[in-house]
Formats: sequence, structure tokens, C-alpha cells
Amino acid sequence: MNLVELTINGKTVKAAKGATILQAALKNGIYIPNLCYDRRLSPYGGCRMCVVEVEGQKGLSAACSTQIREGMVVFTETPVVAKSRKAVLELLLLHHPLDCPVCDKAGECKLQDMAYKYGSTSNRFSASRKDEPERLDSPVVERNPNRCILCGLCVRICQDHQGVGAINFIGRGFKTKISPAFEETLDCEFCGQCIDVCPVGALGSKTYRFMSRVWYMNEEEMICPYCGCGCTTNLSVRQGKIIRGRGKEGVGINDGDLCGKGRYGFDYIYAENRLKTPMIRKEGNLVRASWDEALKYVAERMGSIIEKHGPASVGAIGSQRCSIEDNFMLQKFMREAVGTDNIDSAARFGYAKAHKAMEKSFGSDFMPIGWEAPLNAKFLLVIESDITSAMPVWGLNFILARNNGAHLAVADSKETKLVRNSSQWIRLVPGTGVALLNGMMKVIIDEGLYDKEKAQGIQNFSALESSLKDYTPAAVSAITGVSEDEIRNLAREYSSAKSRLVAMTSGASENIKSLNTMLAGANLVMLLGDSPDTLQIPAEFSNTLGMWSAGVRPAEQGKEMQEMLYAKDASLKALYIMGENPIVTFHDVAAVENTLKGMELLVVQDIFLTDTAKMADVVLPACSWAEKDGTFMSAAGAVQKIRKIVKETGEAIPDWEIFVRLSKAMGKDLGLNSVAEISAQVSEKLSTLGKNDLKLSFNPAAYELIENSSSEFPMLLVTANILQHSGALSSLSRNLDSVVSDAYLELSPADAEKYKIINESYVKVISKRGEILLKAIISNEVPEKTVFVPIHFAHAKVNTLTYPAVNGGIPLVPVRIEPA
Amino acid sequence: MIVKQRAYEAKEALLMPALYAAQREHGWMSPEAMKSVARALDLPPATVKGFATFYDMFRKKPVGKHVIQLCTNVTCILSGSEDLLSMLSDKFGIAPNETTTDGRFSLVAMECIGACGTAPAMIVNTDFYENLTKESIFSILENYK
Ligand code: SF4
Ligand code: SF4
Ligand code: SF4
Ligand code: FES
Repeated sequence: MNLVELTINGKTVKAAKGATILQAALKNGIYIPNLCYDRRLSPYGGCRMCVVEVEGQKGLSAACSTQIREGMVVFTETPVVAKSRKAVLELLLLHHPLDCPVCDKAGECKLQDMAYKYGSTSNRFSASRKDEPERLDSPVVERNPNRCILCGLCVRICQDHQGVGAINFIGRGFKTKISPAFEETLDCEFCGQCIDVCPVGALGSKTYRFMSRVWYMNEEEMICPYCGCGCTTNLSVRQGKIIRGRGKEGVGINDGDLCGKGRYGFDYIYAENRLKTPMIRKEGNLVRASWDEALKYVAERMGSIIEKHGPASVGAIGSQRCSIEDNFMLQKFMREAVGTDNIDSAARFGYAKAHKAMEKSFGSDFMPIGWEAPLNAKFLLVIESDITSAMPVWGLNFILARNNGAHLAVADSKETKLVRNSSQWIRLVPGTGVALLNGMMKVIIDEGLYDKEKAQGIQNFSALESSLKDYTPAAVSAITGVSEDEIRNLAREYSSAKSRLVAMTSGASENIKSLNTMLAGANLVMLLGDSPDTLQIPAEFSNTLGMWSAGVRPAEQGKEMQEMLYAKDASLKALYIMGENPIVTFHDVAAVENTLKGMELLVVQDIFLTDTAKMADVVLPACSWAEKDGTFMSAAGAVQKIRKIVKETGEAIPDWEIFVRLSKAMGKDLGLNSVAEISAQVSEKLSTLGKNDLKLSFNPAAYELIENSSSEFPMLLVTANILQHSGALSSLSRNLDSVVSDAYLELSPADAEKYKIINESYVKVISKRGEILLKAIISNEVPEKTVFVPIHFAHAKVNTLTYPAVNGGIPLVPVRIEPA
Repeated sequence: MIVKQRAYEAKEALLMPALYAAQREHGWMSPEAMKSVARALDLPPATVKGFATFYDMFRKKPVGKHVIQLCTNVTCILSGSEDLLSMLSDKFGIAPNETTTDGRFSLVAMECIGACGTAPAMIVNTDFYENLTKESIFSILENYK
């Protein structure tokens, strides 16, 4: 990096060439007041608070939009500068209502701070104040236009950084205000990023309105409990209760960025169905029990089942939301105290596919994503993945890459946010991403565009080559609906790019991709001689990768999830479920229900009385993520601490501790009695990850649907995540539910007409497994012959229709829709 | 890096001409006009509205059949445009930025239209007139029925 040397207030400092005076100063610990600058945005130069004196320069310079030069001499606090800032403030305060006593921003308001430092107590001018109504009509975001100083940060963060553009300056001059286009209720993705950047109290979190004053709260840095990004959210705690989340510059891998889940989703821990005591089923009902009673009960029943049917009749399900320590203890308990290897998790239908693909293709046992990977590629190819929904903050790096000039090609059937921010939208038939990748490879091989030397040296090259023979542009065009030219051009442009990236998500709820899609992605990477980390597939949830790495999966002959829950022969007699709710989150609920009902012993350890817990023989209350110490591993492989920042709920104890006590009740001591002891043992295990030598191999991957549409079920149901939710957990957050609280079915205008479906009316959705009722939303985002349904909501029972898949076929669901 | 280089296929660059086209068709910047521009250019409606409400030449309310835009900037004022403006106001019974009840004329007091050398000047719809006098201005307007 080229460094430039300059002097600021007599101090010699160095900063990167191209930096502004403001950046150079901040980097060197010198504060220059600013109201319209943000590290993530281009300079704006609107507020003039950042003015400084530059030696040899006439007048004052705006530090945020003046680049540094070698030998520059800058003074940030001189009488002239102070006078100018005071004048700026005087003008701002002309219009700004001095309603700090009722403004939630007071105490952390930049304008307030600056007024104290430079402002005068009187004003030489007079002007009318704005008298606009406050807008409280939208979820989570409140707007008070009267307090707005028109710095534009919210508009720019929303448009340029977040890729949304929901709000703008409307009008001009004194009358200007920040608003959606037509005074309508704000309807956006509700990330709340605009709230964090607002220097004053013009934008605020509605959920925090009049809840506190900033000086009454402690702010705690915590890892977000939701997705695999592993962002740090800063949680404000007042009187033992979390009341606010926000992002902070410089804190966490997210450097202050947050999505709505990280900002608002913390309140799931205050859901009404939190478990407060252990419960045992007696005469058909779950009744309160003491810990001793409950543990003794589990120990005895478990003991007799092991005795009668052997340890292999016991199975366990781990949790992607519980800490590494919790999961480690679950598997240790199962392996050492019970003696079973039947240990798996919901990741079997999600991240396990990614893992399997990387293992088969690269011989790798541990492939975290690279946080900055999207920024280092010139051509980004995203295959049927709504990265900005699944991994919202990592997704911002894709938008940033595009804004910086990279080519972002998104193959998707639906017009997602990423599509709207892409350079190229390859609109294909849902589920055909694998065919598209195969088609690209066919063109690349036929036209000799691949890295012959490297690729031909990789195992199975000829098998790959012959597997592609049916994927001619014409054939692939027929499957995907993408034109032959577009396929050819995509192949040519992608293979000739300077640097590349293939990205996809691995959500268990998604049914448009499968193992084969990921294998095809890996094949493309190897064909072009790129390194394995060119393929980026993040682990889904806050601790998916940690759980996986802690050993929650069969190590030897243990049963995987599909055998435990969906096999016809009922060989499992006891099932121990930690922090998972199969009745809601697993596909084909009828099969799951059947299996659970057939258990002699069902133990559910959770923080909520979930639908699955309601079926249990014993329910054990666990602490939520903010009520215990431990670690999560992010999708990028970072092991990060969570801490006990609020008191446990009722008699709940941490999951890991339940296993400590339970093993003792069974007369076995696992030998680990604290987080520190567990951590020490886990880190030993984790330190061996990703150390093995890679071994590349092509794996031909065909395009096939497990079930195809028919005249009886002519449409394909696509299930996936939406941005505001994460698994079923977030649906217990009231804050997030205020944005979206129910499942719906999106369909194209053409299909709506065809099936006589009116917008917002109820429709019957029928698959061969059952039928459900959903509200219909007619949307241009969805292609014909497809319906899209988010999966997060228990009562919608979308999993009545769906089915599990762990291998190569695409598990789309053929359905029929009718007006209800 | 201080200025991010957006790979410009910038749709924003088309906003100005698109808004003009929409205004020609709809007569003013109605919400429908702005929405149709947003749809056509695939831009957020808020961006379009923000843009349209910033520039004075995009009309915030419906106008008459003919729009008289009389310059009231310094040079024109010195050459008598204030008198012309009040004459027009009197004759048509409307203040600047209003429209006659029969919908024939809207009157707009313009900032500089770049005709200082031949002041006072006005633009009617898209036609340009200079060296206006009390007599000439009415006979010109006779041509706009
Ligand atoms: S909440 Fe997010 S999407 Fe909505 S206006 Fe603010 S920045 Fe834009
Ligand atoms: S609402 Fe806040 S961030 Fe947006 S322009 Fe006004 S003061 Fe700036
Ligand atoms: S859900 Fe993911 S992206 Fe959103 S704040 Fe949490 S960790 Fe970050
Ligand atoms: S921060 Fe420099 S002008 Fe606003």
C-alpha cells in the first residue's frame, strides 16, 4: 500500500494514498466532527461540519471530501474552524426542534454533542420550524421529519450500501423531507441500517421508543443468534432486560452492519412459551417437575431402553443454535454415557450437502467461507441462492463487489434483492441451476476454454467430460429456459474473467438446489483450474459450523437424520432432541410425527415449549444464547464468544450443564464440569480441522427432479428463507413478526389469472402428501408454473407438503392450487 | 479508494429524459407518471420522486394547455418584466403558478432563461420570445388558443 505522510495538528501521521483528510485523521485517533460521512459511503460533502484549515489553501476544506497529499499540513481545531462550525450549527438549529427531553437519541446524538461543543445559545436568525407529523405506521422504523437535518446518510446507506432505495429526499429546499415516494407507509426490508446512521433522532427504532434513556443502559457486544455471518450486535440492557440492538462501527466482522434479525430479533428470548421448569408427562399431560425428578426419570428410562434394545436404539438431534460447548456435550454424552453414534441434526438437509460436496470434490473436511471472498473476484456467479436473505450482511459484500465494478451474475427463477442488484440476471426454471452449470462446462470444454493441464490431471476428468455430453446448449436451453446464446456467452465470459467466484447457500429449507448443484459448482471451479475456495457455500445458522465441527453427526455406523426420522422400520426407541423443532422445521411432517409418536422415550431439551416439546415424555428447560457463556463458530470459521448478559429464565440451565448432570444421574461422569473445561477439550478437536491435504476429484452431477410436475400437480412449490426471518426461531420474535408474521404463497399474475386467484385471498395448496391453506400474494417476482412459500411459520405447516432430500436430486414439490 | 466506481450501466442517467417524456404525456408529474418511469427504468419509486421533486421544471401539479414562463430574473426585471407579469396576472385573473379556470393558460415566473441580452423574455410551451413589450406580449399570446 502506498502511504502518504502529512501533519495534522502538528502530529505527523501516515495514511493510505487516496484517503481523505477525515479518514486519515480518524485512523490516527484524531476526531473531526462530521454529520454526513460514513465509512461505507462515497464522500458527500453536504454538512460542512468537517471543515479544516489546510496550510496554503484559501478558505476552509471539507475534510471528508479532500484527499490527502504528501506533506499536507492540516489544522482541525482553529478559531476560524470553530467559528465556521458554529455558524453551520446555528443554521441547523434554526429548524431543529429542541425536543431533546422527549427524543430517544438524546445522550448519543451527534448534533447535541456538537451543539454543546461549538454551538451558541442564541440564534441570530429566525425561521419557522417544521411541523410534520411523526410517522409510526410502519413496523420497527419510526420517522420524525422535524428532527431531520437532511444529511442524506439514510438515503445513501439504503440505496448505495443496502441496495434497496426505499427512501429519498422528497421535495426541495426547506420543505425537503425523507420519505418513501408517495407518503405511503414505509415498506422495505426493515434492516434498520438507516436508523444507525441517522446522526439525530429523526429515525428511530419503534421497538425502543420511550423505553429508556441511553445513560440508563449497559451495552453488551454479542454474537447474533441467527445466521452464519456471525455478526456482532450491540445489545442494550436495562434492568436485566435486553431492549435494543444496534451495529457499531469497528465492532465485529460486520463492522457495524446488521440486518433486521441481528438488530431486532433478540426478543425471542422473551416469548411467552419459554420453558421455566422441567416437565414430565404424567397421565397424558406434561406436568411440572423438579430437576432431580426429571433427570432421574430420563436416566432410568434411558437406562432400561439401553438394557432392553441396546444403545443403538437411542438417537440424538443436535442444534445449530446451541453453542459449540452444548453440542460437544450432547455428542459426548451420547457416545460415552449412552454408547450410540446415532447423532445428527437438521443440517443433514442443509449444510451437510455442502460438506459432502466439498469432501467429494476437494477432499476437504472443513471449508469455511471467506468473508471478503466476494470482494476479491471480478466475476461472481450466484446459483439459485438468495444470499442477501440467507446471509444478509455477507450478502452486502456481493452488492459492494458489484458497485466496485465486478460482474455479478445471478441465476435465479425469482427476482430476489440480489437479482435487483446484479449486473446480469439469468432467469432460469427453478431447480435447473445444475443443468446450467453443466451446460456452461460443456461449452467451456468444447471451446477449449478450460485449464487443460490442471483439469485433465484431476481424477475423473473423462467421466466428467462424458457426463456432459447431453448438456449441449440446445438441451440446457430446453431445461433451463435460458437461451443458447446466453449460456454460451456466460460460459465464455465466466471462463475468461480475471478472477472468479461461485456462490450458493445451503439452507435446509431450500428445495431448488441439491448436492448435485454443489458438485456441479465444484466441477466448474476445478475445470478452470481455480482453487477450491472459489466455491463459497456458507453454513446456514449462527453455530451450524460449530455444531458440525463439534461432532454432531455420525462418526462411524450411526444413523443419519433420514434414517432416524423417516425410515419405515422403527428401530429407534428413544430420541433425545436438543434445541430443534422437527415438527416445524423438518420436511414431511406426517412422517416425522409418526416416528416421534412411536418413540418409547422422547426427551426434548429446549428454551421453548415447541410443538415437538409438546409431544415429549420429558421436557428440559435450557438457557437461551444470552443467558449462558459459550462459543459459536461462524460460517467463516471464526469461533466467537457468547456471554451471559441476562439472568436465566425460571429454572433453566445451559444445555451443556444438563448433560453434566444427566450423565451423573446415569452414574457416568463425563469429566467436564465447566465451560472452560469443555472449551479446552473442544478447541483441541477443532484445531485439527482443515489440516488434511486436499485431493481433487470431479463428480459428474446430473440434473434430475425427485418428483416432477404432472397434470394433477402442475406447479412446482419452491420453499425458502425470507430476509426477515431465520429458521423457526425468529418467528418467536415479536419485533420481527411485526414485519412479517405469517406464511404466504407468491404466484405470478399469469397463474393467478389461470387459477382464478385473487390477491390476498386464501388458496388451497395440495401436494400428494397433504394440503394447506395460505394467503396468496400476486407478484411479478415469481415466474409462471411456480409458487414460492417461506418456511418459517409453524402454524402454516408448509412441511405438510414437502419431503426431505439428502442426495443429488432436486426436491421441488409438485402442487396444485385452488381458491379456498 | 474514495470514490467507488459503480459499473455504470447507470439507469439513473436516463431519469431526466424519461421524466420529460412522461411529463409531456401526462402533462405533469402525477404519481402515475412517476410510477411508470420507475417501472420503465427499474428504479425505486423513491429515487424517481426525489429526483422529480428536486427540479423545478417538473411540474408538481396539473397545468393549463399553454404554459407561459416569463423570466423574472434581474435583467428582465430591470427591463420591465415585473410590469408584464402583473399585466398578465390581471388579464387572466391568476397569480403566478396558477392556471386559468378555462384551463387555457398557466403562468409561471421563471428564473433566468438565458436571454439577458434581449430582455425581457419568455417561453410559451417550448417557443421562445424576446424583447417583449406590453403590446407584443398580448398579440403573441393571441396565437395560443
Ligand atoms: S430500514 Fe433498511 S431498507 Fe428500510 S429504509 Fe431503512 S435502510 Fe432502507
Ligand atoms: S433522517 Fe437522519 S439520516 Fe436521514 S437525512 Fe435526516 S438526519 Fe440524515
Ligand atoms: S442474522 Fe446474520 S446477517 Fe443478520 S445480523 Fe445476524 S449474523 Fe448478521
Ligand atoms: S462530513 Fe464532511 S461535509 Fe459532512
